[in-house]
Amino acid sequence: MSGKNKGLSKAREIYLNRSQRARELKAAGKKIIGYPCVYVPLEMLTALDLVPYQTCGDMKEPVTEADRALPHAFCPIMRNCLHCALKGKNDFLEGMVTIHSCDPQEKTARVWESYTKYPYFHFIDMPITVRPEAVEYFKGQLDDFRKTLEVFTGKKLSKDRLEVATKSHNRQRALVTELYELTKSSPPLISGTEIVQVVKALTSLPVAEGNDLLIETISEVKKRTAGPEKKSARLLIWSSTLDDTDIMQVFEAKANVVMNESCGGVRAYRGEVKLTADPLEGLADYYLNEITCARTFRQATLGETRKDYARDLQSRFGYLKGTIKDWRINGVVMLLVRYCDPFAFEMPSLKDYLNSIGIPSTYIEYDYTTGALAPMRTRVEAFIETISR
Amino acid sequence: MYPLRAKVNETYLKSIEAIQAGKPAVWAMLNFYYGDPILKAMDIEVVYPENYGAIAAAMGVARQYLDRADAEGFPTHLCGYSLTTLGYASRMMKELKGQIPPEAPLGGMPKPLFLMSSAAICDARYKWFQALGRYMDVPVWPLEAPIPGIKEFFIEGYYDKMVKLGVKHLRDFVTFVEKMVGKKMDWDKLDKTANLMIEVNRVWHEVNELRKARPCPMHSRDFWSAMPAALFLAGDLEDSLRLYQDMYREVKDRVDNHVGAIPDEKYRLLFAELPPWHSLAFFDKLAERGWDFVIESVGYHPPIPVVLSQISDPLERITKFSLQFLVGYYEDARKQNVLGGTTAYPYLKYANEWKCDGALLHPLISCRSASTHLPYVSDMLMEKLKVPSLSIEGDIVDLRLFNPEEALAKAEPFEETMDYYRKMRKQERFDW
Amino acid sequence: MTHQEVNLYFAGVDIGSTMTKVVLTDKAGNLLSFIKGPTGAEHRRLANEVMRQALEEARLHIDDISYVVATGYGRLNVPFADRQITELSCHARGVSSLFPGARTAIDIGGQDAKCLRIDNGRLASFVMNDKCAAGTGRFLEVTASALSIRLEDMGDISLKATRRVPISNLCTIFAQQEVVALLSRGEKLENILAGLHDALASRVAALARRLGIEPELVLTGGVAKNIGMVKAMKESLGCEILVPKEPLLTGALGAAILAKETYKKAPAAGEALPTKSRRLEKATFFNQEYR
Repeated sequence: MSGKNKGLSKAREIYLNRSQRARELKAAGKKIIGYPCVYVPLEMLTALDLVPYQTCGDMKEPVTEADRALPHAFCPIMRNCLHCALKGKNDFLEGMVTIHSCDPQEKTARVWESYTKYPYFHFIDMPITVRPEAVEYFKGQLDDFRKTLEVFTGKKLSKDRLEVATKSHNRQRALVTELYELTKSSPPLISGTEIVQVVKALTSLPVAEGNDLLIETISEVKKRTAGPEKKSARLLIWSSTLDDTDIMQVFEAKANVVMNESCGGVRAYRGEVKLTADPLEGLADYYLNEITCARTFRQATLGETRKDYARDLQSRFGYLKGTIKDWRINGVVMLLVRYCDPFAFEMPSLKDYLNSIGIPSTYIEYDYTTGALAPMRTRVEAFIETISR
Repeated sequence: MYPLRAKVNETYLKSIEAIQAGKPAVWAMLNFYYGDPILKAMDIEVVYPENYGAIAAAMGVARQYLDRADAEGFPTHLCGYSLTTLGYASRMMKELKGQIPPEAPLGGMPKPLFLMSSAAICDARYKWFQALGRYMDVPVWPLEAPIPGIKEFFIEGYYDKMVKLGVKHLRDFVTFVEKMVGKKMDWDKLDKTANLMIEVNRVWHEVNELRKARPCPMHSRDFWSAMPAALFLAGDLEDSLRLYQDMYREVKDRVDNHVGAIPDEKYRLLFAELPPWHSLAFFDKLAERGWDFVIESVGYHPPIPVVLSQISDPLERITKFSLQFLVGYYEDARKQNVLGGTTAYPYLKYANEWKCDGALLHPLISCRSASTHLPYVSDMLMEKLKVPSLSIEGDIVDLRLFNPEEALAKAEPFEETMDYYRKMRKQERFDW
Repeated sequence: MTHQEVNLYFAGVDIGSTMTKVVLTDKAGNLLSFIKGPTGAEHRRLANEVMRQALEEARLHIDDISYVVATGYGRLNVPFADRQITELSCHARGVSSLFPGARTAIDIGGQDAKCLRIDNGRLASFVMNDKCAAGTGRFLEVTASALSIRLEDMGDISLKATRRVPISNLCTIFAQQEVVALLSRGEKLENILAGLHDALASRVAALARRLGIEPELVLTGGVAKNIGMVKAMKESLGCEILVPKEPLLTGALGAAILAKETYKKAPAAGEALPTKSRRLEKATFFNQEYR
């Protein structure tokens, strides 16, 4: 990897050739562990000197290998990820950690394990609620994950090691938060496209190197004289995964995307893991509660016997209100991947919430192929036309 | 066989009557023996929108509810049963202010006291009930349903942690239900209900074991007719137990006298996963060709029996029985190294022990959880047992997608395939 | 000073997947010419030809045009355009100018269907179907071709129906098979066509209901010329439907109106007006001059 590139240009370089650093590290004797979902607690990998690597899809890939084991009417992103894996794009991995976040993740995990031959494989189960016994159960799952990791590495996952790793990952979260502060201005100092590249880079590097990249990038962006052009629309995009610059470009042709509420954007980086006496407790608590993916069932009061729809909406989506206000967002795009059930069921309720706080929104569905870009363009532009008067 | 079917119908009608007379009703999802015993012990009428979705589809009234759900903004790829229910709820609550729609068949579904969903099997099943909150200000309780990895399950202490989650969760659920209906749980009754549920399913399991005989004495159609009493605990459990015991005797009698479910059993098939409820006559056509369906639908089968009588806490007994539905197969799956899809391994056992010549797979376009494992099953059966599969597409509510004529046209060539693989299996020293 | 110099002229160019339409107006909004031609695969880049014809009819020169807005599927292929605006906004504007009371518009084109809500003469919200032929003009086109009937005769024939045969298949391909099967069973052509129109209408109606329908409702697009479809849509939606005399006009008309509005607002918005002289050439991939 050329040492010449720094900050944004380095992020761009990594985006175009994601696995390069991982391959270098493997050649230097490190073990690279893949993960398909941001619910996997990476702190536990980092703590044992393993390098986490997110096994993403590639929208430009025609998906053929997945046909063996997954039907067509299935999350196109996971199909794509599996295809890339079966095609050998992740052959530098020593193992995979999969997790029961949503159905496609759970079902693909089994297939992944059956059809590949990594030395290490672990599946973490997840509860659907955030009730105390559910968090307790999830903590138990992480403890079992710890056990197989220890067998695999021959090292103990001590409290100290885990704390150091957690601090490093928390630092990354804080830095991403700082980066997003730079989209508050009008125009934003950094574009949605550039952030997609940075986040992609973060998921391809060890956490410490990712932190260095963030520090360089933040410093570079703050000093910028020629940032993104001001557009009349400032958008928040709510999606399961928005990790491709081609998609982001469709939006940024006529808008400033100041917040990417998805895995590929800000979702994996909110808040911080608390350093608890039993470190696994802090991790279990963080991942179940803080990751705002539609797969987790949230309600205003646990076991409530009286329900009120408005209060329910507030408890599920209230966190968006502050963001919309502080980033002066004037439109929300609900970008749904076809066949994604959790987000699809969530969508009409989210629309109700956004209507209640007076923010225009639109729903766009796509299938994670390049063919989806042209129809998306018309819808995006028309939406922008309706909100920019 | 038919007394059980008749009984289920009768129970359904009684339930509607009771609800119309003002008894509290709860909308529930199939929850695999976990939440149902609680509701039963509390004497609550349970309505299953999943089943109602199938009824609405079969009676041709689903379209208006599907269109309504579409108009409400729910993407059309979603589970057809969920869209039917959401459309129904929108019609009932928004348009008719809580009155049951007059066009709803079989008495419709009344506004429930609360909604009990389940995480088991798929995401839609708990997200859908959450989405119903748009139309009904009633509480939703999603029941947790852990699903281990096959290898991970054998980590020391894993099972105990699953049980701990299950028991605590259920205890909280009981408290919730007590508050909702305004009366305390009768723990003796729950104890009895749990025991009956386990015993009913044990007998039902034995009935299905008898189907291993050649010729097979009982067809899949009879299985699907008879299963609700065991799967949904429909009706009086003591009655059900008697009826399943009678059924056992009848089926045993057939086995002893070499009586098959169809006159001339030429081929033994397994069926996965959800049957085309609206077109069951299709199987009669296949029976004419000598196709006997000897085993089916893992999702509907009773758990492999396990002794739980030594456990004093009924909640623990219920939890373990419910977990058994999945984990009962894990030991075998691990030995056979079948890791893919917890609902996939059992078909290997089925094909092997019920001596199947072929598998009829029925992927459903809007039900991903009943379809995703099917390519894996097809691969697994061929690789490990040289048993071929035939795939015929359909849908749970868009019934036009299933074409019986086309399906029958595929039967003849598939018979040749089954003949061929019989020879292959013989060469590989399989005993069927 | 000629009479042309005191007037201002605007152009709207709507390149649809099937037809290309050009409208020229003057500053008072008078329609000076309306030309349509098939887009076709090769003609996608020949917007200049249709424009040439429109200019001829209006007795104008390309240099007379103050502002050009391009819209439609091929709006990026108009090198002489000053701005691209989506056909959704343009249709809303065009429909509104013809029917000031319009609140909902449905446009069924050759390859897509759009439903728009109009508020204060402008696009408020929309839904589109462009992933499935079953809810578009293609549905009828494929059938016409399979039955060797002219597309333009389908509507009239369907009006002769004595009963409307329901077509159960959602998919265009399977619907054709069903039609053939019905014919061989002795069903009358006009009854089948009536059923086909109902099938298309119900698909579009489902799309419209997602948006919510508020009168007055206007139907545009090639399919609006089909009298059988208008009837079927009225029944599916259960409300009155207004159809413009020229249903293909609204997109280009709206574009021309928006061209005028953009031109007028430009000084206040601090936007520079186009000063380059336009060349009426076909679009190529290599032409850098037109941005």
